[in-house]
Amino acid sequence: MKSRLLTVALGILTAIGGFLDAGDLVTNAVVGSRFGLSLAWVVGVGVVGICVFAHMSGKVAAVSGRATFEIIRERLGPRTAGLNLVASLAVTVLTLIAEVGGIALALQLASSVDHRLWVPVAALAVWLVLWRVKFDVMENVTGLLGLALVGFAVAVFLLGPDWGDLGAQLVPQVPAQESAAVYWYFAIALFGAAMTPYEVFFFSSGGVEDRWTVRDLATSRLNVLVGFPLGGLLSVAIAACAALVLLPAGIQVDSMSQLTLPVAQAGGTLLVAVVIVGLVAATFGAALETALSTGYTLSQYLGWSWGKFRRPAAAPRFHLAMILALVVAIGVLMTNVDPIAVTEYSVVFSAVALPLTYLPILVVANDPEYMGEHVNGRAMNVLGTVYLFVLVVAALAAIPLMIATEAGG
Amino acid sequence: MRRTRTGPRDLSREPEPQQPGRILDARLHLLDRQVLDIDDLPVCTLDDLELEVAGGEPADRVPAEDGRIDGSVPVVISALLTGPVLGTRVFGGRPPASRWYRLPWAHVSDVGTVVHLSVRSAGLDATWLERWTRDHVVGRIPGGTHDPEGSG
Repeated sequence: MKSRLLTVALGILTAIGGFLDAGDLVTNAVVGSRFGLSLAWVVGVGVVGICVFAHMSGKVAAVSGRATFEIIRERLGPRTAGLNLVASLAVTVLTLIAEVGGIALALQLASSVDHRLWVPVAALAVWLVLWRVKFDVMENVTGLLGLALVGFAVAVFLLGPDWGDLGAQLVPQVPAQESAAVYWYFAIALFGAAMTPYEVFFFSSGGVEDRWTVRDLATSRLNVLVGFPLGGLLSVAIAACAALVLLPAGIQVDSMSQLTLPVAQAGGTLLVAVVIVGLVAATFGAALETALSTGYTLSQYLGWSWGKFRRPAAAPRFHLAMILALVVAIGVLMTNVDPIAVTEYSVVFSAVALPLTYLPILVVANDPEYMGEHVNGRAMNVLGTVYLFVLVVAALAAIPLMIATEAGG
Repeated sequence: MRRTRTGPRDLSREPEPQQPGRILDARLHLLDRQVLDIDDLPVCTLDDLELEVAGGEPADRVPAEDGRIDGSVPVVISALLTGPVLGTRVFGGRPPASRWYRLPWAHVSDVGTVVHLSVRSAGLDATWLERWTRDHVVGRIPGGTHDPEGSG
């Protein structure tokens, strides 16, 4: 038996390590190299948002045993939920492509073997874990190894910046060389990267996989409220690294290797090696989460048997859906598409799919039939409603801004 | 058997007399809920309901969303429907009755946040695709029957 303290510590550490995915890594580095820290406030806004809704969906899963997409179907009906399914699946598969591409790029950094050769290997490894490994082992190992990304925070200190100068960058302002439209386009991208819909699908379904009950609510709340903000700090550290080294040099991030340039300058080969371990673990963990999320959303909408806690033979269509998603990911990456570009698009599209995902969670979290005495308190509802409003604004603005700014070009 | 009101409420009519037992709203409490079998294994999502005019002939069977039963006659739910009937709820129309997967209402043991059945899903027509996928695809991949909770 693990002691309770150890369980809590493990949960928090995996939440930190599991918070970052390829979308966060790339978007933060791109933003840091172009806008310094003037968009760091968006990470803060996004982290509070994901805390609110991840906690809410986890609470619904723990109390009622129902995962998020079952609730979306039940509340929105087959038509609207079907629309949401199509949008969410598109975004989740796009994210999966980006993550598998991210693993391959990180492995290329470590091995100098072309990333296209790594793609099938990475996808096969992801599938083997989905097929074989116990849910909590999978979650803990990728989460803990993802902690190696703390290397970015270490690099910020080693770079020995003028802290006053860096602090002054935190003030939200559009830099002179960038237009306001581009600034807001990247604000939405950062927001979308922090609040991607697959995170709540995974979080709530994971609650069912881990057989959460009401007694686990306190632990889950602590994991989210401590782990996610610390993960957000890591995001800002990545942006800070880029702001300190790449921004003054006028380097724009368009490859994974540029992500590690500041780290190499600060800590040499050793720190780069540590960070690459973190990059592989973070993208690998997110690839697992997105692959599972495609299975979860489809199975929960159509009422199939799902879950890693079952034998694959007891949830065959769930496993088949994940296999197909991975095959699609390999196919798309083999067309020589740039994984970094896929990542940038996926975070913007996820901003569009967000409101339809988060509205039903908010509604059901207030339904006594599901929640009994655990319905939302007033503060939670106010926060949830405010975020829903922000999500709708971001969703409406995302596509026009993308077209107007030529995707931030 | 429970009686269920379907379609929009007609305010001009008399309110229904108090019924013994629980009142279920078909849209709110039944449609689109998860259906679990006796072992809590997911069977399907409740895609539609088959209604029969109370005391009427079986020929009167219609899916609830079809709209031909307008609330002027008392109806009972004879079966839960799933499968291709979902497409007609999204796009409209009516599938031939031979394409319905029916789960007789008599199998329903409880209605809560999920609908519980008193039978095992393994013997149901509604889950044939699940069994086909298991027998012909997933079960054939090595490790397909390995229990992930067992050895890790």
